[in-house]
Amino acid sequence: MTLPYGAIVLEHFRRPRNQRALERPTVTREGYNALCGDRVRIELEVDGATIRAAAFTANACAICTASASMLTERIRGGDIEQAARITDDDVIAGLEADLPAGRLQCAILPVRTLRDALAELRPKT
Amino acid sequence: MPDILEQLESLRPHESRVAMATLVGARGGSPRPLGAKLFVGEGGRLVGSVSMGGCVDARVVEHGERLLRANRSERVTVSVDDAEALELGLTCGAEFDLLIEPISLRESDPAVRAYESAVRISRAGRTAFVATTLQSGVTQRTVFPDVYDGPQLGMFVERFAPADTLVLVGASDVAAALARLARGLGLRVIVVDGRERYATRDRFASADEVLVGMPSELVRPFLVAGAFVVLTAHEYKYELPILREALRAPVRFVGMLAGRKRADAVRALLREEGLSDEEVGRLHAPIGLDIGGREPEEIALSIAAQLVAVREGKTIARRPQ
Repeated sequence: MTLPYGAIVLEHFRRPRNQRALERPTVTREGYNALCGDRVRIELEVDGATIRAAAFTANACAICTASASMLTERIRGGDIEQAARITDDDVIAGLEADLPAGRLQCAILPVRTLRDALAELRPKT
Repeated sequence: MPDILEQLESLRPHESRVAMATLVGARGGSPRPLGAKLFVGEGGRLVGSVSMGGCVDARVVEHGERLLRANRSERVTVSVDDAEALELGLTCGAEFDLLIEPISLRESDPAVRAYESAVRISRAGRTAFVATTLQSGVTQRTVFPDVYDGPQLGMFVERFAPADTLVLVGASDVAAALARLARGLGLRVIVVDGRERYATRDRFASADEVLVGMPSELVRPFLVAGAFVVLTAHEYKYELPILREALRAPVRFVGMLAGRKRADAVRALLREEGLSDEEVGRLHAPIGLDIGGREPEEIALSIAAQLVAVREGKTIARRPQ
């Protein structure tokens, strides 16, 4: 199968990183695109302010899967606040692909799901 | 093929009594399996059949009406012995044994109670047996869960096994049409999709369950012996995660709606991921018997026909790949 979205998307789709379920996630959040049906679940294991492990499960297209794969690689072992500062544009740029406008939602579903997950970690006011 | 309780429920609003004819024996070939039932309502309604609906059923209806009037059960034999039809070679010359009994749909009836119990057991995933005495007059039934260990002589034993499951992945129009057909074929239908706008009760009124969530996880509990898995999503995002598991599971059938080229591309990806040729070879894609239709109902019919062929062990079940 060839994909017109570049080598990085293809590489992460074919060999996704961190695609698994965590044994004891601190937080789990599932996001989906109601129209196209992409589904992605982000799981984080947090120790203090550090994301000790990040993993995902996806029934999603190549762009969404690649995006989740790259994102979990990026935040694993890092700081919660740094992860929260990752923007939609950061993720899109990281894929180094010429994504058509109609597919941008696929790329940003994982990072938006991550933000929802991180929001759960913050103390409720 | 609706089960016996569904058949009785369809009669209950209209009929207070019915004659229940059960096919308990056949010589010379029978188009219907033993245990097939024809219900003859006191008000004239007919549900089910014990043959292909020709002269045999007509005679059973006459016997049913007679026995309803007499309010007694009887074991009758119906022969296909029409002289003219025999002369022309237009009959099979078979003989059918039937147990015909009056059943009350208004009051608690022992036969209905026995079948209710057996169907309840089978719907809960276990096998039940209903053993019926074959003498004319008053018949008696006993329900045995799991195994039949009663007498064989003079008994007619019906087996109520749990329905095989059809998992439909992708709540498409083809899936909706197939769900309707599959329920009629006696399959338990589970519809799975990640999209709640598609996988709705409105679109899948005949399905036993409509599940929305992560498809590969929702399908997992149904990947058991005897199950049929049909992917109608036409979306690799669902197909690949499910096929990775389904082709390694002891299910009876895995099929995917796809043209030959796309099917080959999916097979290549699965091999690249480490599935063996044998595992990938289990995938039926393109799915369905090649009857040439293009509308959802036509495609669903071709798939339903293939599922029946698989169930019956026919070689036509596998299309050349």
